[in-house]
Amino acid sequence: MYWSFEMREAFSNALVRLALADSKVLLLTGDHGYSLFDEFRKSCPEQYINAGIAEQNMVGMAAGLARVGFRPFVYGLAAFIPIRTVEQIKLDIAHDELPVVLLGDGAGFVYSHLGTSHQSTEDIACTRAIPHLQVLSPADRFEMTAAMDYAYGTIGPVYLRMGKADLGDVHNSPIDSLQQGRLMKVRDGRSDRPGLIATGSMVRAAVDVAKSLDLMVWSAPMLKPLDVDDVCAAAQATYGLVTLEEHSVLGGLGAAVTEITSEHQPTRVLRIGVPDRFSEHCGTHAYLLREHGLGIDCVRNRIGVFCQLLASNSIA
Amino acid sequence: MTTFDPARMRRTVLEMAYAGSTVHIACAFSIIELLTVLYRNHLRYPGNDPRAEGRDYLVLSKGHGVMAQYACMHELGWLKDSHIQSYFKDGSDLKGLSDSRVPGLEVTSGSLGHGFSVGVGIALGLKRKGTDQKVYAIVGDGELNEGPIWEGALVAAHHRLNNLMLIVDKNGFQAMGTTDDVLALGDLQAKFSSFGFETLEIDGHDETAIDAAIRQLWATGPNKPKALIARTVKGKGVSFMESINLWHYTRLNPQSFAEAVSELGCTGASK
Repeated sequence: MYWSFEMREAFSNALVRLALADSKVLLLTGDHGYSLFDEFRKSCPEQYINAGIAEQNMVGMAAGLARVGFRPFVYGLAAFIPIRTVEQIKLDIAHDELPVVLLGDGAGFVYSHLGTSHQSTEDIACTRAIPHLQVLSPADRFEMTAAMDYAYGTIGPVYLRMGKADLGDVHNSPIDSLQQGRLMKVRDGRSDRPGLIATGSMVRAAVDVAKSLDLMVWSAPMLKPLDVDDVCAAAQATYGLVTLEEHSVLGGLGAAVTEITSEHQPTRVLRIGVPDRFSEHCGTHAYLLREHGLGIDCVRNRIGVFCQLLASNSIA
Repeated sequence: MTTFDPARMRRTVLEMAYAGSTVHIACAFSIIELLTVLYRNHLRYPGNDPRAEGRDYLVLSKGHGVMAQYACMHELGWLKDSHIQSYFKDGSDLKGLSDSRVPGLEVTSGSLGHGFSVGVGIALGLKRKGTDQKVYAIVGDGELNEGPIWEGALVAAHHRLNNLMLIVDKNGFQAMGTTDDVLALGDLQAKFSSFGFETLEIDGHDETAIDAAIRQLWATGPNKPKALIARTVKGKGVSFMESINLWHYTRLNPQSFAEAVSELGCTGASK
């Protein structure tokens, strides 16, 4: 986990606060989160369980703990929680709607130097298709705090995707609470150009790109469910849509948005995400985004071309 | 008064399998005596309620043997005759593998190597709550091929889950052959002992031995999880099924059903 101090603090504070308030909250980790849990281990040592490098058993065990009244938060890298343990999440947890919060850290290309084993660009697609499982994807420390509260308040399974969401605040101030499935407008702009819907680390990029083209931007802190009316309203308020995510273009935010628009509000949608490929090289997070066509210049170009296409064809 | 007569429970299994034209008879037959002793002498269900908060937990990790558990639930009155007769009918609740939505079944299993981990979590939770409830997890010997079983075994010993008993249905077969031929398990008692379990190995069809072993395991190794290795016969109770792995997959026809029922020599399963 390579987060900024503020982001670590937002996550750790929320976890400690929830655990101090409710002794049924347990933190299970698969031997990850070395310094991230210092405060938790100091404040609530009895509620901290290092389950070893044994993720499959850890998730099954969390289901057992939830069955007898506990509120497990299960922490791992997104490459392992959820990806390595998708079947345990499906069968042991989601099937019975057990209140387990799955914390998948380092989603996307956070571990940019370590290669494919520690990168995760398929986790949204996998978790979205599991019944009862809600999927959260905060974009900054304010959304993170609200997402932790939402996850705790949900008496059912939640996957909280933690990516490189510390690229700068997206919101100006703390968020009261997340509303199920709702988009959050983070920038106003022109109605005759495409609107941007982004999630996680890409919200910051969306806001930056939107400035020069004066585009509207929404953050999607929750990917499942995704509010149908909100997506339709965004499509109606703008001329075409662009989705941005640090995740495969297959099965993630872009898919969720187009599932809605194709049925309810036919709209031309440009899906910007990770092409259907693994990382070739290693480097900084910014480098890997560029390798996959998610660098800020590439994104700006693609949106610019999309704007021209829409303007010339009237096909939005 | 429920008696959990093994012959009658096998007949219940046969009636279900025949009514539903389904498979997995032999792996249900191997655990009949184990379940008989557990339900008759050990499992506590306050108010005969399968979902009572203070209950002991029987986790059938080898979900393929679920018809044996249905037979016990029928003995307890949790399932009615109509459940037996309508097995696998469109829209019915009882599936061919353990499904936790059915009161009396604790886990959704059949994908192997899941139930034991859930059982470890239940046992850890109960221990944290300071109750005297116990958790029994039945796994197949073939299921021991699955990695999470061994992850769970490490965790159970590490957390000193002395309220957890793993029961291995060691019938020597898995789907495609004998366990020795497919993936040899070696000395299971030695393996679980070395993992930190209090272990015993017994004849899994000898009710007296099963009962004595369960009592002994709970009484010894105060800080250890328990492992009971039960030597069983796949298809036990019907001569033409015993240790014939075909009966993992074979469906009954009118003739084999009649022959099997006649061998059991007991009157109707349905009460």
